[in-house]
Amino acid sequence: MAVTATTPAITPSAVTSRTGAAAVAAALVLLVAGLAAVDITQGTAAVGGPEVWKALTGRSDPADSSVLIASRLPRMTAGLLVGALLGMAGFALQAVSRNVLASPDTLAVNAGSYFALGLVAATGLSLPLLASSGVAFAGGLVAAAVVLGLSGLGTGTVRLVLAGSALTLGLTAMTEGLLLLFPRDTEGIFQWNQGSIAQHGFDGVLQVAPIGVVGLVGLLLLARRVDALALGDDAARGLGVPVRSTRVIAVVLAALLSTAAVTLAGPIGFVGLCAPALVRPLARRFRAFTRTRGSLPVAGLTGAALVIGSDVLLRALVPSDVAVAVPTGVVTSLVGAVFLIVMAVRVRDTAGATESDRLRIRTRTVFLTTTAVLVAVLVGVIVAAVLVGDSKLLLGDVVNWAQGRAGRTVTFVLDTRVPRVLAALLAGAALALAGTLVQSVTRNPLAEPGILGVSGGAALGAVLLVTTVPLAGSWSVAGAAFAGAALSSVIVFGLAARGGFQQNRLVLVGFGVATASAALVSLLIILTDPFNATKALTWLSGSTYGRDLTDVVPLAAVLAAGVVVAVMRRTELDLVSLDEDTPRLLGLSLGRGRLGFLTLSVLLSATAVAAAGTIGFVGLVAPHAARALVGRQHARVVPVAVLLGAILVCTADLVGRTVIAPAQLGAGLMTAVIGTPYFLYLLIRSRR
Amino acid sequence: MRRLLLTAAAATTAVLTLTACGTTEPAKDDTKKTAERITLTDDTGMKVELDGPAKNVVGTEWNVVESLISLGVAPVGVSDVKGYKTWNTAVPLKNEPKDIGTRGEPSMDTVASLKPDLILATTDLPPAAIEQLRKVAPVLTVRAAAASDPIGQMTKNLDLIAQATGTTEKAGTLKQQFQTKLDEGKKALADAGRSGAQFAFADGYVVSNQVSIRPYTSGSLIGGVNEKLGLKNAWTVQGDEAYGLGTTDVEGLTKLGDVEFAYIANDGDKDSTPFTGALAQDKVWTSLPFVQKGNVHRLPDGIWMFGGPESMNKYIDAVVAALKK
Repeated sequence: MAVTATTPAITPSAVTSRTGAAAVAAALVLLVAGLAAVDITQGTAAVGGPEVWKALTGRSDPADSSVLIASRLPRMTAGLLVGALLGMAGFALQAVSRNVLASPDTLAVNAGSYFALGLVAATGLSLPLLASSGVAFAGGLVAAAVVLGLSGLGTGTVRLVLAGSALTLGLTAMTEGLLLLFPRDTEGIFQWNQGSIAQHGFDGVLQVAPIGVVGLVGLLLLARRVDALALGDDAARGLGVPVRSTRVIAVVLAALLSTAAVTLAGPIGFVGLCAPALVRPLARRFRAFTRTRGSLPVAGLTGAALVIGSDVLLRALVPSDVAVAVPTGVVTSLVGAVFLIVMAVRVRDTAGATESDRLRIRTRTVFLTTTAVLVAVLVGVIVAAVLVGDSKLLLGDVVNWAQGRAGRTVTFVLDTRVPRVLAALLAGAALALAGTLVQSVTRNPLAEPGILGVSGGAALGAVLLVTTVPLAGSWSVAGAAFAGAALSSVIVFGLAARGGFQQNRLVLVGFGVATASAALVSLLIILTDPFNATKALTWLSGSTYGRDLTDVVPLAAVLAAGVVVAVMRRTELDLVSLDEDTPRLLGLSLGRGRLGFLTLSVLLSATAVAAAGTIGFVGLVAPHAARALVGRQHARVVPVAVLLGAILVCTADLVGRTVIAPAQLGAGLMTAVIGTPYFLYLLIRSRR
Repeated sequence: MRRLLLTAAAATTAVLTLTACGTTEPAKDDTKKTAERITLTDDTGMKVELDGPAKNVVGTEWNVVESLISLGVAPVGVSDVKGYKTWNTAVPLKNEPKDIGTRGEPSMDTVASLKPDLILATTDLPPAAIEQLRKVAPVLTVRAAAASDPIGQMTKNLDLIAQATGTTEKAGTLKQQFQTKLDEGKKALADAGRSGAQFAFADGYVVSNQVSIRPYTSGSLIGGVNEKLGLKNAWTVQGDEAYGLGTTDVEGLTKLGDVEFAYIANDGDKDSTPFTGALAQDKVWTSLPFVQKGNVHRLPDGIWMFGGPESMNKYIDAVVAALKK
């Protein structure tokens, strides 16, 4: 009865949906084709639309046609291929993990490939494209395996991304470190980092395309099983689908796809995250796209449109000679970030379950011993940081210096070294405190000034000021950093606040803003000061080089105020971090308290960035570690987190200054290298 | 496990703290002042006062290091010594100076430990770093380069460094030699009928299988020298304000037309040789008129393109030799 009643209603809608889907697919193909056609008329050679037309019809002079054949067409094809590969890889990863945040970027696949390639490059081996592709594949696969293994397949959406982002940050930092340790050409570091689709002939494209085909065919064969996974693991198992092997095969294929893209063009960010996100609303409207076989190619098309569209946009906006210096990846990151933010706000957040860390309750003794030990370690690190460096000193030198009786060399060394140590210590403490506050207020274990884009906004503000007013003072740099941080946090928290700081939305928007601001910082430096690797290093990955005592003053002031506020309001923090209802029941005004804490954390991260550039990871690791060590009471978490943050950044700065002395690595690179293993260890531990 | 880690960390700390007593340098006593002070105004408008001609000099950038060596002063500290030895064999180091780190971030500690009586820096160094260096010794900051008058800036820097090191006479000789070289070169090219030839100088590097090419516009030092030699700069791209360098890719070379193309690469840096490596099979490159006619000249390695008069003398010799063929 029921069946006969509903059937007539379904049939027409299914028909329109099928034609609709076909129309959408056709429109996409047209869009991609149009963009591709525009792309081949753009470039540094004087070969525009008319010349291209002549060349295509075989009536042009050989020079023009060689530009078209050896440069434009390969570039266009590479753009389409890379976009399609990343789009499909992202789609597959999101489908099998049922996680809108999964992508080659967030599962560290890109970072793993990139690191493996960097490792090979650093050893000086020069491999043919396919062999380096194999190396990159191994790297990407290992990274994905680590992330999926640590987070447990299919469980814990948040953990998956947490592990992935952590590993991405760490691997990227290590690759940058490698490139600095084995410097070949400093200005190359950016281009390497961002990825560019320019090609010399079709060789690369032709070698990589088969890998893409293998991945695509594999995924299409796997499509039914992937579809079943969407019903949930148990339901899929009930249908006789081998859940585990499906996941493993899909991840391997996705890694293969994104590796192919990385080998061809370097890591082009965000496409893998963005393309499937753009396809998802289509799936709700057209039933044909709810199936993997329908939506996988569409995701690929969308990815292709994103990459080629970014390239067209870049070449249309800036003069061609400047456009050459700007990697395509910068633009995809910008375009992708904007799309992502829009999508994140519109998409309904479904997976919002807070995974509260199951923590043992710690006694007061544990807290006191931990604090005492940390204080001792901190003192040790400070002593080491002051004494060890490019020239080694002894404590007597410091005593002489403190009394103003030191010789010229010691005076100078300490005059320049002490501010750096202070900047590192205070920046670490401030970032840790900021992270603690944000994590409590948003009750989001992923929240961190770096990941949420607050630090990125601060860096953008500071770079804008430093670029326009080269001799800006430390207070004005801190002010500009705060303006940038405030703006980015208004965007992030403002957009995420609708619907009450839901986890995925907050992190998605934050991730978008963070990537966009990093891309803008790169872009600003490339356009205004292309050969200044030092500047880029400072603002993109944190460095204390050339810091003065006056640079540290704003940070010290804000940190002091921040610690006082956090300690005074510790009970409120405890309540806010508990859940939504308890504070209300107790008659606490949640909104104002939250706003206050958030403003404070924005101030803290902004001044930290102004003093030492963007140092990632500390705000994420320190509060986590602190909670694991002493439980969740803020009276205990705050001091321990602050101590841990100071120790972490100070150690990072120390190591960065000494390992390759007299050359140096940025503190931010080192925090990531030190922070990643610890963070992964924390993840494994908390799984028990 | 956790306790063990913490204890180990604390123990290490304690040991470190206890063993690190003593001093590496005796407490200071007042130094005597000598006569004949030198007062200079550098390119940042700062007054630099020296007790006498500087002997222990540190250079943070290769162009000032080259000038120092040409003037007969052996620097005690040089940024990226290995890089200098690779890229500037035209004016080789005569001593074994201490490596003070990268050119962008020279190590303050190392500079201080050398106890220099003069630090030569360029405006490429961040102002904050220059500020810090001033505390260790007088810092003479010269403008790295000026696209408005590249040769003028080079000789101005040479003169300033000569005054600070008491080698003005030698600087005069160097400038004289450079002028003579320019005149001879110009005459040689004119005699060979190459006056007014369209000429494009560039360098290139490979980054992750992609080739970037840096055109040297009229604002670059080499571009300035080329014009003095009577050659016409064929680049139409915009250069930056300091070094007069542009950016382009292989496609951009198609705008050059039929020119003489010259470049300097380095066998010690594989990424710097795209014209014989990555581009050798590139259709755009091989179809360029100057490539087909064999008018691509690789000039000898080790001529520093941003150096001083001696590098430029070697450059002039190389260009004349290449074009006379």
